[in-house]
Amino acid sequence: MNINRPCGTFDRTYFQAKELYRTPLRKTLLALLLVGMYLLPFLTGDYGISILTLICAFTIGMLGLQIITGYCGQISIGHAAFMGVGMYTVGILQRHFGLSFWVCLPLAGLVPMFIGMMFGLPALRMKGLYLAFATLAAHFVIVYVISNWRSVTNGTDGMWMKRPDVLFGIDFKSDRNYYLLVLTITIIMTYLATNLARSKLGRSFVAVRDNDIAAEVMGINIAYTKIMAFGIGCFFAGIAGALGGAYYEYVNVEWFGLDDSIWYLGFLVVGGFGSIFGAIAGATVWKVMDEFSTLVTPITEALLGGAAFYASAAFSLIFYSLIIIVFLVFEPRGIAHRWEIVKRSYRLHPFPY
Amino acid sequence: MEETIKSVVLGLCSGGIYALLAVSYVVIYKSTRVFPFSQAAVLIIGAYIMWFCLIVWHLPIWLGFLITCIGGGILGMFIERAFMRPLVGQPILAPIVVTLCLMLFLRGIGILMGKGDIQGFGESFLPVGAWKVGFLHLPKIQVYGFILCALLIAALMLFYEKTRTGLGMRVVHEDHVVAQNLGINVKRIFQYSWVISCIIAVVAGMLLGNIQGVGLALDANGLIAIAAVLFGGLESFAGAIIAGLAIGILQMLTINYIAPLLPGETTMMIPFVFLLLILFIKPYGLFGLVRIERL
Repeated sequence: MNINRPCGTFDRTYFQAKELYRTPLRKTLLALLLVGMYLLPFLTGDYGISILTLICAFTIGMLGLQIITGYCGQISIGHAAFMGVGMYTVGILQRHFGLSFWVCLPLAGLVPMFIGMMFGLPALRMKGLYLAFATLAAHFVIVYVISNWRSVTNGTDGMWMKRPDVLFGIDFKSDRNYYLLVLTITIIMTYLATNLARSKLGRSFVAVRDNDIAAEVMGINIAYTKIMAFGIGCFFAGIAGALGGAYYEYVNVEWFGLDDSIWYLGFLVVGGFGSIFGAIAGATVWKVMDEFSTLVTPITEALLGGAAFYASAAFSLIFYSLIIIVFLVFEPRGIAHRWEIVKRSYRLHPFPY
Repeated sequence: MEETIKSVVLGLCSGGIYALLAVSYVVIYKSTRVFPFSQAAVLIIGAYIMWFCLIVWHLPIWLGFLITCIGGGILGMFIERAFMRPLVGQPILAPIVVTLCLMLFLRGIGILMGKGDIQGFGESFLPVGAWKVGFLHLPKIQVYGFILCALLIAALMLFYEKTRTGLGMRVVHEDHVVAQNLGINVKRIFQYSWVISCIIAVVAGMLLGNIQGVGLALDANGLIAIAAVLFGGLESFAGAIIAGLAIGILQMLTINYIAPLLPGETTMMIPFVFLLLILFIKPYGLFGLVRIERL
């Protein structure tokens, strides 16, 4: 953390050492950013609000993957499926028990959390690639259960979901108010994730990622740490799924295919591993790309000729995967690293280093 | 009993292709230590190249087979040179993400090649019909496919055992640094591995396309073969072959005994449940190397 400060900023008290933002400039910028995010929906139209809502929801999911993969180093190829579990938790609770969204939301985090911990259990015995296989299997098992347990999940037809009820006199039926709710939850979750990374658990995540044997020697319980990483990451994914599903007021098993799990991992690379900013950047790039590929559909159609559905599908598959591969080859540390370089050169301005 | 024997024999026949696919994963994993998820999509490309040769360009079967194999080889060379070589020495996560993205990239190419539809070979390029042996009905497609798979695997094993390049590849399997010090061009060996693996995957793709129709759904077979690779152990050819056959049998038994009990695509789900069980019980598979690590 010390590296990212301008010179002359010292910690004189414990309170100062614990602060997230040390300098007045950064505090001002953060405040401006937050105010700006709350004011944005009043400036952009419905289209902008829909993009912003999705970016916020997927930021939460990306933060979860950042905790699993970026901080703890465990590769998850089933993250979208856990997001789906969150969506369906809300859907099922609303449909069969008629619960309010406010009751469902924490449960939508807790249910994927337990399922994620269950599929993370192989972490007790192995690591790396083998855990990736476990999450791949988790993806297929979850999708199978959701699309075939018809009496509960309504199979492949999907389910209707309800947006949150009125709270403190605010009606969340309108897109703008719903965006403000999602934004608030995103800010809270980002704050939690930032502090988690600085806590004992977060530091042991990083230790396990960097060298798990060394971490064990230092007295970190590896299995507990890995399973906690899976649990917390899937908690975030579940919340993201609940918010995203409630935005569309509909969930479908098609929305979390293997592609989405891979895009999650890929755009985390684009954003940058091991930093909260990386997760936010990754989710933003992903959703902006989504809009871009929707916008250029007429062009791809004209180029490739024929029916639109396959042209745009092929375009997004090829385009996204090339972007991710190019990032991995030329800038494996992602946008977050580039941003750090920009910040550092601003701070040191007249000098090159 | 009769039913069980029937499904075991049929499972063995269809397991040949899984064994072939599992070998194609192991070839790359052993020499480069990268798990090539992309092979699941390479077989789509193979099936589409064969479809182009036979249906669009009306070429004879042997020429189509040859062109498909060459196409697979070029694809493997291209993937290695363009995408995998820059990542040598990166942490384990980078190659995994790249091969996963390559899987989707090749899927996209497959969509473009097939115009998004499921295509068929019209009539099968292998003989159709069935032999009747006792109470068994052996479909000729499956049996010829099995024989082709066995021949390919045997040829590969001969290549590894008898040729000088094969010897070099076996050294690389043991240790990259040692191989480099012995004067073996490790990069070249990586390239050979990708070429061999892609040719194998392409052949498996055209055999599967012949049976199931040429479409994007073919990559499900590639993903199921991952379960076989893990069951056999990531570093073992013998394990891959045995486990591939075992997965084939498991699938046929699933169709006979489990599918009536459960709804939906159980043939897709059961191998992955099996995979999870392996991970819990014997994570390094039947013949996999248990790596002992130290600081």
